[in-house]
Amino acid sequence: MGLLSDPSISTQSKLVDGLARHVRKVCYALYVAGVAWFFCLALPEFNHGTYLSENALSPGLVYPEIRIDANRLAIQLLEELQRERKDHLSTTPHAWIAAKMNEFGLETHTHNYTLRYPFGGGKEYHGKNIYGILRAPRIASTEGIVFAAPYRAASSVHTDISASVPLLLAFADFARRKNYWAKDLIFLITEQEQLGMQAWLEAYHDGDRELDLSKAYLRPGNLPARAGSLQAALNIEVQDLEIDHVDVRIEGLNGKLPNLDMFNLVQRIMAREGIASGYKQAPRKKRRHSQSHFEQNFRQMLTMLASQSSGVPTGNHGLFHRYRIDALTIAANRRATHATLKGSPGSAAVPLLKAIEGIARSLNNLLERFHQSFFFYVIVSNDRYISIGDYMPALVALVACAFLKAYLTWSTLPATNAELEKAAGWLREHEQEAELEENLEPDKFELPYGSVLIYLTATLLIGFLCNVLPLQQYFLEIPMGAAPLTTSVLSFLSLIGFVLPFVVVLPPGGLELLHVAFLLIYGCALIVIGLLNFALGLFAAVLTVPLVIALETKEENSRSTLRNTIRLATLVMNPMMVVYVIVLAMTFYQFPELPVQKIMLRAATAAMDASAYGLIDSVIYGNWLYFVICTIFLPLWIICWTLSLSKRRDYADYLDFDESPSTSPQPQSKVKTN
Amino acid sequence: MDSKFFKLLLLGGAVRFYFCRTPLAPMIGNRVEFATPLNSHKRMQEGIFLLQSGIDPYLGDLVHESPLILSALSGLFQKYPQFLPIFYIILDICTAALLYAMSLRFVKQKQDQQDKERKEYAKDTEELQFGPLDKLDIPELVIVAYLFSPLTVMSCIGMTSTVISNLFLAFFFYCLVKGMLIPCLLVLAFETVRSFYPIVLIAPLLLVFSRNSVRRGVAIAALFIVSCLIVAVANYFVLNSWNFLDGTLGFIFYFRDLQPNIGLFWYFFTEMFEHFRTMFLITFQLNATVLYLVPLSIKLRKEPLLLATVLVALMAVFRAYPSLGDVGFYLALLPLWKRCWKFMAHGFVVFTFFLVTLSMMGALWHLWIYAGSANANFYFGATLAFSTGQIFLITDLLFAHVKREFCLFNGQKILIDGEEARIVLK
Repeated sequence: MGLLSDPSISTQSKLVDGLARHVRKVCYALYVAGVAWFFCLALPEFNHGTYLSENALSPGLVYPEIRIDANRLAIQLLEELQRERKDHLSTTPHAWIAAKMNEFGLETHTHNYTLRYPFGGGKEYHGKNIYGILRAPRIASTEGIVFAAPYRAASSVHTDISASVPLLLAFADFARRKNYWAKDLIFLITEQEQLGMQAWLEAYHDGDRELDLSKAYLRPGNLPARAGSLQAALNIEVQDLEIDHVDVRIEGLNGKLPNLDMFNLVQRIMAREGIASGYKQAPRKKRRHSQSHFEQNFRQMLTMLASQSSGVPTGNHGLFHRYRIDALTIAANRRATHATLKGSPGSAAVPLLKAIEGIARSLNNLLERFHQSFFFYVIVSNDRYISIGDYMPALVALVACAFLKAYLTWSTLPATNAELEKAAGWLREHEQEAELEENLEPDKFELPYGSVLIYLTATLLIGFLCNVLPLQQYFLEIPMGAAPLTTSVLSFLSLIGFVLPFVVVLPPGGLELLHVAFLLIYGCALIVIGLLNFALGLFAAVLTVPLVIALETKEENSRSTLRNTIRLATLVMNPMMVVYVIVLAMTFYQFPELPVQKIMLRAATAAMDASAYGLIDSVIYGNWLYFVICTIFLPLWIICWTLSLSKRRDYADYLDFDESPSTSPQPQSKVKTN
Repeated sequence: MDSKFFKLLLLGGAVRFYFCRTPLAPMIGNRVEFATPLNSHKRMQEGIFLLQSGIDPYLGDLVHESPLILSALSGLFQKYPQFLPIFYIILDICTAALLYAMSLRFVKQKQDQQDKERKEYAKDTEELQFGPLDKLDIPELVIVAYLFSPLTVMSCIGMTSTVISNLFLAFFFYCLVKGMLIPCLLVLAFETVRSFYPIVLIAPLLLVFSRNSVRRGVAIAALFIVSCLIVAVANYFVLNSWNFLDGTLGFIFYFRDLQPNIGLFWYFFTEMFEHFRTMFLITFQLNATVLYLVPLSIKLRKEPLLLATVLVALMAVFRAYPSLGDVGFYLALLPLWKRCWKFMAHGFVVFTFFLVTLSMMGALWHLWIYAGSANANFYFGATLAFSTGQIFLITDLLFAHVKREFCLFNGQKILIDGEEARIVLK
């Protein structure tokens, strides 16, 4: 009851005062605890073994019926397709695929879509998907399952995955002869990587919606036929019929994952068919055994979170998640050497076909959408996972730092003018006046809520402009590529943010209030981002929380070296700088042989491309990363920069402070805008 | 009534007008946090359409607005639908103006009361007393808190009928402070027949108007019942049927619509076994109405307006279909108790609670309904935390009031054996 009805008369609590003196220590302790908890998650005591939660799936309950003749058909189709590919170097052999689907008795349709690429004066791209529906004999087309295979033209720069089309068709031929399907099966061949899939999904779900033509970049058109509400989808990317291992890809748009049951289902069935399969499965010779269990698990966790944090799907399956359809990709990799073949080459694809059949039959059994098992998990190894309840404390501990500091900063906010002056370190100069004032009653000091609110709104406005400006018509008409355009708009706006604290100086007490507001917004933003995309929230928190803890607006007990370090760190934490540094590290990792200058230059162009891709991803696919960085992280950075500068209205007293920040950041800002 | 007051009103109207033209407005109108089955604009439209077509709106399970409101607004809805946002904005501004007038009067009453009691006050309690500046400050704070609170702004641009309820409640408060018995009774009776829970506000009304005489109290209570009956009969004549009683009051009492909202009912009644339903219905409704009524009325018999504030706040927490517009209304009343703020220890914590839970609600709703990955438990967790925050606030206000009363007469610095004294509640 003490929590609600504190019996003491004065509101000043000793505990709070004591804590306030050690804010940083307490916060750093919390930070370390959060990070330590995260590390512990890789220990077997902190994660659990996977299990199938949905009984309807019953994987492996039926005996696989697909035989070697399906494999033979696949081989024959592959040979035909290879001949077609010679004629269609940069296009999809639509006619051949449609003819085959028709031949197997599927209800075949084509779907046309258009992309109006907004940048560089505007261009139009056209694409065509082909899909065939196998109507379920047992139900009136109210539910469906999608089996999709992306087609890459022969001229594509990506790995050749043309074997997935024959495999899919061979399975379609098998499935058409069976009468047990309780859901329509859709066999879908898309082109142009994720774009085709996105267009198909949009057309499937809102094909008849009227589009605002000025804003719609992707015009999906409409579909001639549908197959009810889609329950699940399986995307197949097969490099060759003779496979070495299967990599199960699950990360979807904005870090969403399919239900853990679906992953487990695939794992179970692959294991039954004797295919080496797993999450981020590596070729056999690359699998390291020297690492300890903990290290393996931890690496697995980190790679999963890293690929989740960008929000970019790792395959076409990721776009299904947006429509609440659980989906994953099985990416079968080619066997490296033919010398070690065990079976005859004529039956190489049979296990994979059997696996697809098994997955299809389990999905066919589903009575309702996947809902039993986890949607929020981190996979530590192929048969172990961490659930949301176990990993959330790490993030909560990190975010708690911000809220704790906000509370303690708030409770020590200056209440009277005298306190304010003391906080600003003016007392030495004004000691006599202060003594005079002591005789009077301490005049109440009103915090400048209004101006702080206006300042916050201004920073948010800058972030909002980052989203809107690059897509304005007059900018788009400039004959300039997407990358330079986006980068110049972004750097211009962050330059405004950089200059803002020099131009606008908040009234007394404003900085302290801004600090509290900053901490609250920061904490809220991290929590929300962490809920929507845990990986992004966690990485952002791990990176920025130490700086946020170190930030201090009080002048009295801080050394100038510490201040300047914080300022420098803040500059480095600029979202654009962080993007550049990440790209730089990736470039360095990929091309270690290049000289440093070349790497930096290459990373700069790559970072510019990355920002443009982020923007395009956000308008076409609905990726949130660009929005989050611009609308949340950039304004937060501007506030953070303001706080680290701590400019006060009456700064004639310490001009020496004024010199240092304006000289040191200059070289940094040049790097940023290049 | 200075120029600043009008400027604020205009600015508040302008903010609402700006937002109701953005795509935010239709989005808010569909958010469960603002639009509940009781107050949603869509249902109001449906009701008016049915009424105009000569069909009893309460035969279905969609319309729960009272017939008088439906028929009063039907002309506007049918003929000038483009002016509806303006109409709601004007209503909201009227609410703000009423609150302003009410708080002016309230501060003046407080100052008069203080002048009489001044001799009994302890020495160092000037900051606990209403000062000369408060006459300007408090009404201004009230109006700012109402006009610029995101909760009321959103509620207004979403065109929820909470705007109308807030107007009636503000009118009730105004009449209560002004001492106008009949309008006060009538508006309370109207709100009671419309949304049931305001019945608890009869307690502050009795405290104000009965002036410690039981006979007067009984007479007023009888008058209240009569005016309730009059309102009900007036409602009856709109449709010539009593169906509306079940459609409005019955719908609230029996909690028929389990659509999620920020309250505590929906999750509980979704999870519960059907044969316990009656018992828990009674328990929950008792909790929302009479459970706190008697003890609070006894404790706060000298401060009827604080009692009314607390009751409105409790109503917003515990009612069957609460919306954020209700929360915005009682938050705007808090500045009236500015002199208690010194003792409110949890203001910042509550603010943080509100901020975090409200932003989490959006994210969790998205994850639950659109992404399909989270579930009802996540969302309920956020709303539960939000309600907890509100309870913190109400308790804090009550406790601060008790402390202020004590300190006003006994001084702020009480030392017992060299240690600071602590108040013990017995």
